[in-house]
Amino acid sequence: MRRFLIRVRAMAYKEALHIRRDPLTLYIGLVLPLIMLLLFGFGVSFDIDHIPLAVVDDDRSPESRALVDAFTAAHEFERKGSLDDADAAGDVFASGRAAAVLEIPEGYARALARGETAEVGLLLDAADASSTTAALVRADAMSRLATARVVASAVPGMSASGGLPVSAATWTRFNPAGRSALFLVPGVTAYVLALVAVLLTALAVAREWERGSMEQLFATPVGRLDIVVGKLLPYLAMGAVQVLLVLTAGAWVFGLPLRGNLLVLAIAAILFMLGMLGQGLLISVVTRNQMVATQASTLSSMLPSMLLSGFMFPIANMPWPLRALSHIVPARYFIAVLRGVLLKGNGWTELWPDLVALLAFAAFMVAVSTARFQRKLA
Amino acid sequence: MSTDGVAIRAVGLRRAFADVQALAGIDVQVRRGEIYGLVGPDGAGKTTTIRILAGLVDADAGDVSVLGHRPDDGAVREQVGLMPQRYALYGDLSVGENLDFFRQLYCLPWREASPRIERLLELTRLKRFVDRRADDLSGGMYKKLALACALLHQPAVLLLDEPTNGVDPVSRRELWELLGTFVGQGMAVLVSTPYMDEAERCHRVGLLFEGRMLAEGAPGRLVRELDHPVYVVEGSDRARVTRALTGVAGVRAMSPAGARVRLVVTPDGTPEVARALATVDATLRPVRADFEDVFLARVGADDAAGRAA
Repeated sequence: MRRFLIRVRAMAYKEALHIRRDPLTLYIGLVLPLIMLLLFGFGVSFDIDHIPLAVVDDDRSPESRALVDAFTAAHEFERKGSLDDADAAGDVFASGRAAAVLEIPEGYARALARGETAEVGLLLDAADASSTTAALVRADAMSRLATARVVASAVPGMSASGGLPVSAATWTRFNPAGRSALFLVPGVTAYVLALVAVLLTALAVAREWERGSMEQLFATPVGRLDIVVGKLLPYLAMGAVQVLLVLTAGAWVFGLPLRGNLLVLAIAAILFMLGMLGQGLLISVVTRNQMVATQASTLSSMLPSMLLSGFMFPIANMPWPLRALSHIVPARYFIAVLRGVLLKGNGWTELWPDLVALLAFAAFMVAVSTARFQRKLA
Repeated sequence: MSTDGVAIRAVGLRRAFADVQALAGIDVQVRRGEIYGLVGPDGAGKTTTIRILAGLVDADAGDVSVLGHRPDDGAVREQVGLMPQRYALYGDLSVGENLDFFRQLYCLPWREASPRIERLLELTRLKRFVDRRADDLSGGMYKKLALACALLHQPAVLLLDEPTNGVDPVSRRELWELLGTFVGQGMAVLVSTPYMDEAERCHRVGLLFEGRMLAEGAPGRLVRELDHPVYVVEGSDRARVTRALTGVAGVRAMSPAGARVRLVVTPDGTPEVARALATVDATLRPVRADFEDVFLARVGADDAAGRAA
């Protein structure tokens, strides 16, 4: 046991020296995660504002102008001129001058005055489905607000909600503003961690094969487990720094809250990283080549972590084969823990199944990769 | 530990990679205090033999024992030092860091290892370069560092795979002198080399060719017992001599020696060769055989036997 510890320490120290002296590793490990966080946080935003809006106002009343003002006041829609009739919508959509057309028919003010439900039309360019959905939600909220205001001012004393044609109410909790940064940062954390952990270990071990140092290592009394543990420890430490870095940046730049049990999060992060490091190890043991290992690790970590983890696309909406496949993507569980702890204030009670899944994946990967890691050159 | 002083014993080693028979049944024995040279051209099977003895590759057939155990036995690894042919140290680590890494892998306490490291640095004359990165060392210095790393734990068996490959003549001599020092202390050394002149620095050599052992013994004895006469051709120029001797059965091997041609001739081939040379007014001058002649004679005989079969 004492010898095991001495050898693990020797391996880990040596690996730390490699990391410290290799600018690329440091960059991939510490700078890349931050860049990706900022890219995803700012660049990939599902938040919709300044939707270009063209208006067809056939009513030309103070009330209709008030409705247009209500649409554009919050900057969610931006008025981009008027149209004579709604048939021109196709042209403005095609030219990209507007993505939405608000049509207020003649008689809008009259209907309001009579206390009837006034109908307006909103035409949306649905080429970009997710923007359309967001625009619809906004428009719905605004039309209700506008109607409420009109009703309240027209009939003093009447309760605002009284005359509204409300059929469904959307209620978002945990992320009330619906800001996509809050939704994306946990996903980015898992994604970046998966990519970096798999890539760095795969490279570190494949490098030993490629450089021939594995031959020298195998000729010494150092055991397989000594090599595996010694190699993984520094990267585990680096991963911990990454998690802290990304979460700190997330909190600082995007106002990411931390509402739940931090210990659960820490354990989930360690288990997740162990699984990813094991995956990297397995790849390098099988490929023994840095080039192939790079491609295999990027593909095997990036795609599932991005597409099948719930990071960008809700798992519930996937066709069943993908949904089934997502069960073996560890990022899925880690993202669940991240969102649970950060946004929902979850703890052990809600998240233990995710922790168990992460543990199972980590144990499987480390076991398989150590078993495949034979002290033989051929 | 075996009592007869044999540190390495391999019998009937066979190993194939895909459809290449790297080793076709060879025997090797190395005693303590002996330098055994595995001599042969590239592709002869030297590296495979050394890797099998180091427990890095399994033999398809045959028996191997190192210090009385299987070579992949953990206890044996503590007693064996390997210097691979490829650059196998960590280039971004300094000389001192590489040595210290291997010190820890062998779990040597600093107190015990530090005088050894001092001495090895002294012997290899690397002391001045202790902070230099291994990648920045010259070829010869790098090999000496690799040797120092392999010697750090004072192994009973040392396996060296072409240690002098790519090393300048001065460093080559130094490496061999270092080996001499350690063998004097009872170490068993198996060293492979493609350089025939280095064979004479070994106590015993095995001539490895295409996975088979063509000859084995003390190099001096192998040279003395060579039954092939060796000549240098006098008169005429090399091109004409070469043309005149092409296809002559008595010529076992022909190699350039300066402006002349050196010949290894079959035991009863001298009259035939002399007749062929008379046509270009050239004559044979007998010279002393060296180890390279032994190798050429054996390989030539082997080829001839192969053709006859």
